[in-house]
Amino acid sequence: MSNVLFQNDTRQPRRFGWGLTRAMSLSLTAFAAVVLVGMLVLFAMESAPVLKHEGVNYVVGKTWFFRSETFGVLPMIYGTAVVAGIALLLAAPIGIGAAVFTAEIVPPRVRMPVKLAIELLAGIPSVVYGLLGILLLRNYVYDGLRAAGFDPLSGDTLLTAGLLLAVMILPTIMTLSDDALRSVPSMSRHAARGLGLTHGQAILAVSLPQARKGLIAAILLAFGRALGEAIAVFLVVGRQDNQLPGSLFSLEPLISSGQTLTSKLGGAEVNIAYGDPLHWAAVVGLGLLLLIAVTVVTLVAAWLQREAAHA
Amino acid sequence: MRRWSNLIVGGAATACGLIACTVLLWIVFAILFRGLPAVRWQFLTEQIRLVGAEGGIFYNLVGTGILMATAAVITTPLSVAIALAQGFYLRGNAAQRAVTLLLYLLNGVPSILFGILGLIVFVKYFDWGKSWLTGGILLGLMITPTVSVALLERIRMIPERYIEAAAGLGLTRSQIVRSVILPQSIGGLVTGLLLGLARAVGETAPIMFTATIFAGATFPTGIIESPVLALPYHIFQLAQDSFNPDVAVKVWGTATVLLGLVFLLSLVSLPIRLKVHEEARHA
Repeated sequence: MSNVLFQNDTRQPRRFGWGLTRAMSLSLTAFAAVVLVGMLVLFAMESAPVLKHEGVNYVVGKTWFFRSETFGVLPMIYGTAVVAGIALLLAAPIGIGAAVFTAEIVPPRVRMPVKLAIELLAGIPSVVYGLLGILLLRNYVYDGLRAAGFDPLSGDTLLTAGLLLAVMILPTIMTLSDDALRSVPSMSRHAARGLGLTHGQAILAVSLPQARKGLIAAILLAFGRALGEAIAVFLVVGRQDNQLPGSLFSLEPLISSGQTLTSKLGGAEVNIAYGDPLHWAAVVGLGLLLLIAVTVVTLVAAWLQREAAHA
Repeated sequence: MRRWSNLIVGGAATACGLIACTVLLWIVFAILFRGLPAVRWQFLTEQIRLVGAEGGIFYNLVGTGILMATAAVITTPLSVAIALAQGFYLRGNAAQRAVTLLLYLLNGVPSILFGILGLIVFVKYFDWGKSWLTGGILLGLMITPTVSVALLERIRMIPERYIEAAAGLGLTRSQIVRSVILPQSIGGLVTGLLLGLARAVGETAPIMFTATIFAGATFPTGIIESPVLALPYHIFQLAQDSFNPDVAVKVWGTATVLLGLVFLLSLVSLPIRLKVHEEARHA
């Protein structure tokens, strides 16, 4: 804005000093910052008792029995990582492929309706996804696993939650990847075509590599979403405590019920914990871990997007 | 070889595009196909009966309306303040970047954590119990990044000469804000609010512990211990009891109504939506 214009602004302003409006604007902005930082501080304060009680075992402990005051979060961290990992494995390739389709291949007349549909669908509430998961998807998963020769106890599995999340984060990946690809200057494309590359080769050799940072940021932001999604995961993950595989690479837990940080936070145990300081601290601690994880992911994505903008 | 690579890349991308569109459209179809038959006038004007198997969702609509109105009232001053600070008052790149990052991070906070925040602050410290006001405040905080980014886009579109003309008339900066910037960007605020409310209207996680109950609440009379009913929480509770076919019909109907609200809110704000994404972008 034209700051130059105001450098000689020495007139006596009206009744309220130099702008009640400005003071309010800046103080409310500061308040928003206080909310964000305050959240981190409050969660840390409220979960302090369990960190004293468990120490590092809070994060690496394998069992959570609140009646015997044992609070180990590792199975939930594992569940969160697996569910978000499945979602990314499925949604990232399809989402980026679809973004190549909207950004590089279709004519503008087709592009707009497709983008519009994606934008609308990005708005479907997570509780509706959860409903679809409960009434449709988990039955498909159960039948599919049976047909494949497995013997699942139910359709509520880590795999089901991962599949549902994949669909939920698809619009995020598509929209942001589409942005990243569109910000590659068309000059680079023309140059590649001028050198005799086919359209497909130009996409592989120019568009995708040049949009790399933006694409990674898109995947990271979607990952952050997947980590923090509570309601849909809660409804289909089975909410089975203390599920850890014997070895890290066994696929067996994928087709059994599990528990994530968010599904624990969305459950009835929050109400049970409310009256008991230590148990309450353990529950809020889950929120603290989640907040730290998501903040780190978001920061990295923000940094990548800035890098991409300055390239 | 060249021809093949071209065909493979194009074909793969097209296939991905079609898969994505098909999956997403199928979802909407699946909901409407099951839900539309349940949506009748009585469904919208009657109370819940028989634990959701009978009756309608009148007070859920009322409660969701109360939460949305409160969220809008809470988020408006915050979003206006942030957009003005960003677009007008803050000088220097560092301060502006800090606010951008703040919005970015706030936007990334999972909604369940707003619920836990509400539990700590309003339920535990303030002792409000479940209250519609807590829900409105949490939802308002949650959508502030969305609203302020939409408003900021509009403020940046105001022609420089308007501001120069106002400065030439001898107005101070804050007078310019009140007489030029805000009137010229009010449309951006409305769009941003609709966009934000489209996100908030379906949120369950922030309000499930702090503001809503399943049945038995009508119009709130105070702040302390005055919960409301809400559409998303209704779906959340009934979904867990979906083995009863009567309940299943009602829950699909409720989902259809909620989806209708979301699409209504976001359709109005679509032009901006295609420009500004949910993720606040770096200028």
